[in-house]
Amino acid sequence: MKIEVKNLVHEYIPGQRALDGVNLTIEGTEPLAIIGQNGAGKTTLVKHFDAILRPTSGTVVINGRDLSELTCAQWAAQVGYVFQNPDNQLFLETVRKEFEFGPRQVGMDEARIEKRLKHVAELVGLADKLDVNPADLSPAEKKFCAIGSVVMMDCDVVIFDEPTCGQDLEGNARLERIIAALRDAGKLCITISHDVKFVTRCFPRAVVMCQGKVLVQGPVEEVFSQVDLLKQSFVVPPPICRVALGAGMSQAVFSVDDLVERVRKERNNCE
Amino acid sequence: MTEQAGGARAEWLRGLNPTAKLAAVLLLGAAAMAFPSPVLGACLIVVLFVVAASSGMLAPFAKLMVGFGIPVTIMLLFIQGCYSPANVTFIADLGFARLGLEGVMSALQTVVTLLVFLGGFYLMNETTYTGELVADLTSRGLPPKAGYLVLASLNVVPQMRRRMATIQEAQVSRGLDMEGSLVSRLRATIPLLGPVIMSSLTDAEERSMTLETHGFHLNEVRHTSYVVVHHARADRPIVVIAVALFVVSLAIRIAALAGLIAI
Repeated sequence: MKIEVKNLVHEYIPGQRALDGVNLTIEGTEPLAIIGQNGAGKTTLVKHFDAILRPTSGTVVINGRDLSELTCAQWAAQVGYVFQNPDNQLFLETVRKEFEFGPRQVGMDEARIEKRLKHVAELVGLADKLDVNPADLSPAEKKFCAIGSVVMMDCDVVIFDEPTCGQDLEGNARLERIIAALRDAGKLCITISHDVKFVTRCFPRAVVMCQGKVLVQGPVEEVFSQVDLLKQSFVVPPPICRVALGAGMSQAVFSVDDLVERVRKERNNCE
Repeated sequence: MTEQAGGARAEWLRGLNPTAKLAAVLLLGAAAMAFPSPVLGACLIVVLFVVAASSGMLAPFAKLMVGFGIPVTIMLLFIQGCYSPANVTFIADLGFARLGLEGVMSALQTVVTLLVFLGGFYLMNETTYTGELVADLTSRGLPPKAGYLVLASLNVVPQMRRRMATIQEAQVSRGLDMEGSLVSRLRATIPLLGPVIMSSLTDAEERSMTLETHGFHLNEVRHTSYVVVHHARADRPIVVIAVALFVVSLAIRIAALAGLIAI
């Protein structure tokens, strides 16, 4: 999997650049988080990955194919997109129909749909609610219904826009499992999130955006070590990471165990 | 309807008081309707063109007026000109029907009146923030609830359209083909109407709860507004001229009906 973005500019209103020349190459299938302030251009950027938006200028090439070669509906077979607000996505009478809608649109055969339905319903925790109307689900369940309906399509790339929004601890744990399952299945998962703790737990790499540009990108440890750059984008590293960096450690840590380990190591070095 | 519409070009129109603009549009339209010949309406259309040009909106304004005016004129001229029961003086013979002067005049009267209203409302819409109009009307004694009704009904269409676009986007990204023939596009659109209507209802409910928590329903309290209402020196003369035109037109119409003058 390879997504190449070159000099991507997008203007919703002529003269006002929501994306101001983004250059980015995403290779492999390691989960990737996109973080940044509101209005930094995160959603605008990812909406170019399945042609929901078309560039004002610049190019997006996915696996050697230019974005403009196919329509959004045709890209849907390769790139799945879960919208921030599930109410905008769900429109059928039952969860089951929602799950079957996308795969049918992209031409998946019925036997495979049936097989995936079981697996995906289990994964998103809606196995016993398949015949419920999505409107009757709780907001968190709606979100998982929307996620499930896209995961069902078995796309090579799955994009989540703010999946943690409105989720409780259990929901976050489920999201982590979904992202891990996608990774294990060799799918590239790209997620927009404001929750830095969630990002550092689930994503080995991250892109930080600021004012329509990519500010930093790379492994999360490196990204969160660049305190000065992060300040520009108003992204605050998780508390444990700030403690480590504040204490003068050269690299970011994201869990208590890691911090303890690092302190122990540094102490040994001193002795 | 939006504040940025028209950009900085339409500054002077934007600076006018919204109620004055509304009153002027209504009065000028009514004057064109009352005047017993299309001449006044035609003159007013010329004036509206000048106003549009002076605010840098000539191109879109002309597009609207011509785009609406020509088909309506042709249609009305044909129907009323050929088939109006008032026709006595025939000015042309088309073979299958004869064109009557009375019908032509009445068609032209209708067209110019429509165009005066259309053009006036267009210029007003492009240069007036609806919130400002409602704030101004409310401060002039319009009950806030009625004001809200105006605002809500003006906003509901663009709001539904935006929502429709978002929902469509979400379905297209799940492989729903919205391109292709009209029939296939229609067929793809119909199932999406459900969520649009549902979410509009939810919106209405949420908005009414918000209004309630803001004390909107308290009757004995005077409502205040953050919206700055523009006033300009030209407001009064414009309204006075519009009133005068309307009164004079009406007087001429009444006089003509009473047989005091011949038109």
